[in-house]
Amino acid sequence: MTVQTKAKGKIIVVDGNEAAAKGVALARPDVVAVYPITPQSSLVEALSAMIATGELDAELMNVEGEHSVLSALQGAALAGARTYTATSGPGLAFMFEPYIRQPGLRLPMVASLVTRDTLTPQCVWGGHQDAMLVRECGWIHMYCETVQEILDTVIMGYKVAEHPEIMLPVNVNHDGNYLSFGVTSCELPDQAMVDDFLGPKSINWHAALDPERPMSVDPLTGNAGGAGPSMFVRYRKGQTDAMARSLQVICDVHADWAKRTGRAHAPLVEEYRLDDAEIALVTLGSMTGAAKDCCDALRDAGKRVGIIKVKTYRPFPVQAMARALSKVKAVGVVDRSVSYGWNSGPMHHDVLAAMAKSGFVKPCVSFIGGLAGADMTQSHFERAFDIVAKGDVPPGPIWMNEKD
Amino acid sequence: MSAYNSLTYNASLCIGCGECMMACAKAKTGSADDLSQSRIKIVVAEEGKYEAALCRQCGDAKCVMNCPSGALTKNQANGLIDWNADTCVNCLLCTVGCVYGGITFEASVGHVAKCDTCGGDPACVKVCKSGALGYVTTAAIYNDYGKEEDLFAPGLAACQGCNSELMIRHVLRKVGKNVVVAAPPGCIPGMGTVGYNGKAGAKVPIFHPLLTNTASMLAGLKRTYERQGREVTALALAGDGGASDVGFQSLSGAAERGERILFICFDNEGYMNTGMQASSATSFGSWTSTTPVGDKLQGKRTDAKNMPMVMMMHNAAYVATASSVYMEDFYEKLDKALEASKKGFAYLHLYAPCPSGWRFPAGLTIDICRLMVESNFVTLWDYEPDRGLVFTHPTDKPKPLESYLKAIGKYRHLAQEQVDRIKKLLEDRLAMLKRFAR
Amino acid sequence: MQDCTYLIVGSSHAGLTALDAIRMIDPEAPLIMATREDHLPYSPTVLPYVVSGRSIPKKVALRDEDYFKRQNVAFLRNAELKSLDVAASTARFEGGANVRYEKLLLATGAQPSIPPIPGLKDAFFHVLRTMDDALNLKSAMGSAKSALVLGAGLIGTHAAENMAEAGVKVTIVEAKGQVLPGYFDKDASALIETAFRKHGIALEFGRSVKEIKQGRAVLEDGAELPFDLLLIATGVRPQLSFLDGTGVKTANGIMVDEMQRTSAANVWAAGDCAEARMFQAQGTGVAGILPIAVEQGRIAGQAMVGDHGVKAFPGSVLLNTYSFFGQQAISVGIGEVADGETCLRIDEAAGTYLKIVLKDGKLMGVASVNNPIDPGILWQLILRRTDLSEVKDRFLADPKAVGRMLMSRLWR
Ligand SMILES: Cc1cc2nc3c(=O)[nH]c(=O)nc-3n(C[C@H](O)[C@H](O)[C@H](O)COP(=O)(O)OP(=O)(O)OC[C@H]3O[C@@H](n4cnc5c(N)ncnc54)[C@H](O)[C@@H]3O)c2cc1C
Repeated sequence: MTVQTKAKGKIIVVDGNEAAAKGVALARPDVVAVYPITPQSSLVEALSAMIATGELDAELMNVEGEHSVLSALQGAALAGARTYTATSGPGLAFMFEPYIRQPGLRLPMVASLVTRDTLTPQCVWGGHQDAMLVRECGWIHMYCETVQEILDTVIMGYKVAEHPEIMLPVNVNHDGNYLSFGVTSCELPDQAMVDDFLGPKSINWHAALDPERPMSVDPLTGNAGGAGPSMFVRYRKGQTDAMARSLQVICDVHADWAKRTGRAHAPLVEEYRLDDAEIALVTLGSMTGAAKDCCDALRDAGKRVGIIKVKTYRPFPVQAMARALSKVKAVGVVDRSVSYGWNSGPMHHDVLAAMAKSGFVKPCVSFIGGLAGADMTQSHFERAFDIVAKGDVPPGPIWMNEKD
Repeated sequence: MSAYNSLTYNASLCIGCGECMMACAKAKTGSADDLSQSRIKIVVAEEGKYEAALCRQCGDAKCVMNCPSGALTKNQANGLIDWNADTCVNCLLCTVGCVYGGITFEASVGHVAKCDTCGGDPACVKVCKSGALGYVTTAAIYNDYGKEEDLFAPGLAACQGCNSELMIRHVLRKVGKNVVVAAPPGCIPGMGTVGYNGKAGAKVPIFHPLLTNTASMLAGLKRTYERQGREVTALALAGDGGASDVGFQSLSGAAERGERILFICFDNEGYMNTGMQASSATSFGSWTSTTPVGDKLQGKRTDAKNMPMVMMMHNAAYVATASSVYMEDFYEKLDKALEASKKGFAYLHLYAPCPSGWRFPAGLTIDICRLMVESNFVTLWDYEPDRGLVFTHPTDKPKPLESYLKAIGKYRHLAQEQVDRIKKLLEDRLAMLKRFAR
Repeated sequence: MQDCTYLIVGSSHAGLTALDAIRMIDPEAPLIMATREDHLPYSPTVLPYVVSGRSIPKKVALRDEDYFKRQNVAFLRNAELKSLDVAASTARFEGGANVRYEKLLLATGAQPSIPPIPGLKDAFFHVLRTMDDALNLKSAMGSAKSALVLGAGLIGTHAAENMAEAGVKVTIVEAKGQVLPGYFDKDASALIETAFRKHGIALEFGRSVKEIKQGRAVLEDGAELPFDLLLIATGVRPQLSFLDGTGVKTANGIMVDEMQRTSAANVWAAGDCAEARMFQAQGTGVAGILPIAVEQGRIAGQAMVGDHGVKAFPGSVLLNTYSFFGQQAISVGIGEVADGETCLRIDEAAGTYLKIVLKDGKLMGVASVNNPIDPGILWQLILRRTDLSEVKDRFLADPKAVGRMLMSRLWR
């Protein structure tokens, strides 16, 4: 992909957590609520520091747990605030109760999931299991591959979330350890450009707790009979419709960002060396880097392989995925989490379903790797390509780090 | 319309001494000789028992409606039914309208006569030794707040005799419209305050937070308004479950951070909205649907968490306990709490006996509230960090605890040792509180 | 066309009480009160006192302009209801104004009924029902030396007293054998008649007028009674021509049920224009008295506004108070009943009278002259059918004290 840089920003050297913090600051949130948790802590520390120095003018709420973090931010949003927080693994689990409520309230926000594997076994390292557990809650999920993409996507996330046709919360996910602590240089966009890109805030025009616009927010709705059932369906359908509409908005926002910064991140699905590929691996998050390196090496060796990177995981970009898959004969899906009930990785079902929905079926192998901070190296991906190339699909998943 | 001071008569206390009639006759005619001149008429009911007839100064007085000459009017300023000698035509139709014998024809003066409360200082009450006659002034509260808009919709679906509905209406009358109300799951939204299926139950912004996050949600909201430079009251109307059980973490956190919130806990000792399950606020020995009574278990096995005390230990800007029987006290505390909530966290703990869940007749709610305080089952006090704790309704000679426990169905099964344990607990708690008092 | 939620026609006791009851619950909905009068609301009952000069017109208003403003009521004067279209919920007033209502109360009271006496049509005579009537009578009284009053009911006796006090020589002709028939028995009436005769009023009982000629009345027996002033007080009846063609059921008055509803949807009636059940008699009747107008007006208002506290009209109990020459007479309920028990105490010298009628231990009626009782309490005892057996002797001895005791125990 050719990158044409339009506006050169300042180059900074940061890790993923700091990049996220920088992105957040550029988006000028009104209220930031924090509760530390590994591997997210350095992110909220960076934000706290920026607020302490005045670099970021926001209300900092140091609350007593993730449950209150998101609760406070919901109250803030209902009073009109642009809000931000970040969490990981067990923190997300504790946040779950207000978390599942946020999309129903149609309160836009960006929250970073610095992904971490879930307990138990007790662990504090990266993995997508936490984010995967909340994939059906109505939040938009975008996964980042690089530090730059984290910074850019946090900002783009607000634009998507607050789009009047969408009004949904966005999780911008980056991998604990690999991205959170991986230091690289990246470009810091110009504040004026970001201000112009995001435009004026409009958070609670639809639902507010404001004495100047008194209304009941979230009265009991539903039950059999009366206006209840149809009203409940209207709310639910409104949410799923907005999810569906967001695919186009995500594309538009990425295009706008590319125009302004010259950085064209693939909005939904990135096709890497796919055009004449026979087989491909579907990847998510930071593993894509190693997968691409592996792909390049195999290409050098004359193998027709490619990578399909998923950026937007919820809503699942069925058409974009089908278009990519149509180009290959067989595919492997690499998950950094498990689906207990299906004995495979969760994204594996998404890919299978996307094919079924698009009217074709191709051999599709499930790979599970990188759990609890395990490495996913070129050689892991090489092996994966080999298995896919053989053409048979084992009944269970291939555990990539089983023998590491 | 206003509420006014009024004369009260308690037949069970009257000894028939006739002093009131003498005082009245004297006040009205200058002489106590002719008792028929008295506007209060004490009559013998049976040996040693008395009854009284006197003007009730009715709100929609039939005597006024029946007067063809405009001589009788309801005085809006003091509530009295005024009689105008100048325009009265002596037709006596007022005496047909009055079902209380409150306005009567007095042959000796040739016209009708009625009580005028001696201009607010009734002579009869002053001489009543038995305490049968009283002159009550509690309606002052109504005059202060009755004209304020009731900001909840009429027809909320609370149970008959619900203390909480009564009190939330009072609260909002005082707090007014510049407020955001959070009513976590429980009786308060259950009765429809937040609304059902698109219909609102309040005229102010109101929200249905989670049972768990009332205080933190309000904290975020309040901080945002502060950031915007707007002063908006953040008000929680929570039950004891949403305060002392699952809601406790966020409540404690908000109190520790000194969030500018007014948090009112309506303590009905459990989950009364969903079928009377026990909470940590349920008192020892109580029957509830999750602390049943049988051969093995005899009601709740632990004491109620002492929430107001716990909140005091957070050093909140204001903490108070209140009861709907002492409304002046309640309004005073509400005032202080509102003021304090501009600077820090204010917590009001309101005792809210529940006829449905505690098993007592709906008509007795206020009596139970009173007995609760008078038996020292609960203690009314308030606390400010700089000033310490002050008892606002000390009960030095408490009524027997048994009179309270016996009035309520959920304690019906209590064995003597359970009663003794409650007694001991109450004594200990009172002693502990006293150590905080200045 | 004017629209309103509530239209009340008539601005006297029934209408005003209904208005208050409506505004108690619904302070805002558009409400029109229309009267054909040019005056602020007043009571017909006060008119004898206007005639006597005890009251003056500007002091007898039952409500002032400010009241209507406060209650958010459009008060239309000189608005006589002419016809109704109950299907279209529209009322047409004199002069052509139309009002469309959601709920209508007819509280138009009653008018004097004029007997078909030959010659009366062409004679100049007075009646007493409106303020203008009272003012006319008052001024005529000044120049009259003699007056003839037809009818010894409340209106006739009141007016006769007023005129006698003003120095006019008054004769009352009454077809029945006593004053105030229907309220008092002969014994009580005798006490009242004594006072009348003492004040120079001639009472001609059991006689009736055959013809009116210029300045004199010819009686059945041919006797002639000259007069300067003639007052017709032979009774009242509702004037209901505005209901013509509406199909609304009427008898002597507009038929109403126990919620004061008429036979037409969204139309209520109360007071002297309404015919409702009787409490102590079979069937229905127009009570024609002020306290019942108030009762009915209140029920109608509550029913119209949907006040849950509304209680059905129990039926009219006939009752009245009557002051004459500084004396008082009161009657509550009925004076005679089959299988009843009557306690009668008359002291002719003192001019006092008390009659108590009981049946099966329950109070049926009390009548008194110069013997103060509490009519409001006695009315309640009748309505509640309170069993007095246990206190009967005490009650008969002192109905006032025992009535008060029962009140304090039963409905305090
Ligand atoms: C002289 C006199 C003495 C009385 N004394 C007593 C007494 O001592 N005790 C007692 O109980 N009762 C007495 N009454 C009767 C008592 O006044 C009535 O029962 C009472 O006033 C009935 O009230 P009401 O509202 O039904 O009708 P009314 O008082 O008759 O009022 C009817 C109103 O409707 C208006 N109206 C009528 N037709 C129309 C129309 N078509 N359009 C618009 N407006 C209309 C009238 O102008 C009037 O304002 C007396 C009546 C009179 C006349």
